[in-house]
Amino acid sequence: MTSKHVIAVTGVNKTYPLGRIRVRALSDVDLTIGRGELIALAGPSGSGKTTLLNLIGCIDKPDDGRIVVDDVDVTRVPLHRLSTLRRDTLGFIFQTFNLIPVLTAYENVEYPLLLQNLPRRERETRVRHWLREVGLEQQAKQRPDQLSGGQRQRVAIARAMVTDPKLVLADEPTANLDSETAARILDLLGEINARTRCTFVFSTHDPSLIARAERVVRIRDGRIEHDTTAAALEVA
Amino acid sequence: MIIKLALRNILRNGRRSAITLTVIVFGAVGLILFGGYKARTFFALRESTINGRIGHMQIFKEGYAKSQSQKPLDRALDDAAAIRKEIERDPRVKMTAAQITLMGLISNGEKSETFIATAVEPPKERAMNSQRITAGKELSDNEADAVLIGKGLAESMHVKPGDYLTLMTTTTAGSLNAMDVRVVGIFMTGVKEFDERAVKMPIAGAQQLLQTTKIEKLLVFLKNTDDTAAVHRLITSRVHGIEIKEWSDLAPFYHQVVALYNGIFGFLGIVVFAIVVFSVANTILMSVFERTREIGTLMAMGTTRGRLRAMFMAEGVGIGIIGGLLGLAIGMLLAMLINRGNVMLPPPPGYTVGYRLQIMMQPPVLITAFLVSFITATISSILPALKASRMKIVDALGHI
Repeated sequence: MTSKHVIAVTGVNKTYPLGRIRVRALSDVDLTIGRGELIALAGPSGSGKTTLLNLIGCIDKPDDGRIVVDDVDVTRVPLHRLSTLRRDTLGFIFQTFNLIPVLTAYENVEYPLLLQNLPRRERETRVRHWLREVGLEQQAKQRPDQLSGGQRQRVAIARAMVTDPKLVLADEPTANLDSETAARILDLLGEINARTRCTFVFSTHDPSLIARAERVVRIRDGRIEHDTTAAALEVA
Repeated sequence: MIIKLALRNILRNGRRSAITLTVIVFGAVGLILFGGYKARTFFALRESTINGRIGHMQIFKEGYAKSQSQKPLDRALDDAAAIRKEIERDPRVKMTAAQITLMGLISNGEKSETFIATAVEPPKERAMNSQRITAGKELSDNEADAVLIGKGLAESMHVKPGDYLTLMTTTTAGSLNAMDVRVVGIFMTGVKEFDERAVKMPIAGAQQLLQTTKIEKLLVFLKNTDDTAAVHRLITSRVHGIEIKEWSDLAPFYHQVVALYNGIFGFLGIVVFAIVVFSVANTILMSVFERTREIGTLMAMGTTRGRLRAMFMAEGVGIGIIGGLLGLAIGMLLAMLINRGNVMLPPPPGYTVGYRLQIMMQPPVLITAFLVSFITATISSILPALKASRMKIVDALGHI
């Protein structure tokens, strides 16, 4: 039986070496995220939001504490053994898009499905569907350097969604986009969340992005300062 | 997808890949040209040694090798005609030739030198075409007192065709005997030390000098060198009371040359291997550093370490295959041009005659050149591939 939480973070600490000293990035963080939520991790630069996103995304390990992703305690498993979980359960959207430059838009979206060894016909159906969803059917054969920033991020969104993940993690997804393009990308993410009920967690310090989140978790100096909904924030 | 990604990444930085490919092509071409030259040299040396001097096999009387006698022809071949008839029944046998080797003193009346004479059957000797006549003519069929002498010996004795010399040696009975001979020609084998002592004379003349009617050995010439072992076995089963030596046992110089060239070829191979390894490893390692963030992204999406290793090794394999094939094509083209170009090389050590540079395009040489390129490029990619697969995802994603 699956729990109602897709993410459960309990008592997590994380430090990083900086020269001869260690810098504390997260202190005693507790957080649960329900299925289908659209959550913004907000906070100034260096507050620890990207670190938290990395830990949830199983691409980094906490010093101590426990993280459960989709009912799997990922803190007990070495990172390189979590590739199947990352492949099947998680989707990533990066600030700098991180598309594979030698692959076309179609091939970039197709890549995660190749990792899943899906048959060609099924891959084609899913890739076409998601390219249509993000409005890039016509650009399928173009390589990233032939696309605008907004188009690249749309390809990245299609790539993150094509495996039908339970959780999509987006690190500052609009930071490299102009405000108009950023607004369109946010609309798209909102629509996808509403339609698929896939959980979205993104880190940001962009007020317009924070305003669109159902729930905002504010982080400062590695600690969770506030954990409330955007509506509650407006009232406050 | 792995192959597609590898090929596109090879083309991604075209200039760098081109430089790496050039190194591999140079290596493969070097191996093809030197390997082909080596193969041609071995072949030419082997065939000239066999057909010009020693034959594919030599037939002696049983016990010849262990004989300690000081007298010439003490272990002469009995009933050579019957043995010869039996051997020549085999269609793989081109011909047999009787020979006697003798040593002694040669004199022009004023000075004497030691000589080593090979007594031959003149028609067979002409068929062997073992030496180059520089003055006079070949031995004819019916002149028992005619001799050919080596160029160095002719210069030492101050003789020319038509002049007379005296040969002196021990007979089969152990006494001394001398015989006046007429120089009909001067020859050159190309081996300086041999040409300074060499005499060739008809069997009839040697038998007269040694006071015998016997012969020392029979040389067996085959149509194809590859049949040597098979014909050897057949002769052993058919003819008794003899011992047989194959050309390989009689050609120490050939084996020395083979060992020397193989040593050089092996060293060249190691140098090519090292250059290709460093060049390809450098290319792929630079590619790994440049694509660190990409590697992080691929791992974040669920790419396993094994798949990532395969991706980078596929690039090494791809470079190896492309470089190897290009090297084969260019190497074969150059070999053809060299073979048509009539390039002459200076005489090798101990020889007085130069020879034509020829490259033999044998499948083993071509396959070796391709495999060396392919395998070294593949090996070179192992370290960069391991480095890529062991990156920490979070560090790779944060790489600028």
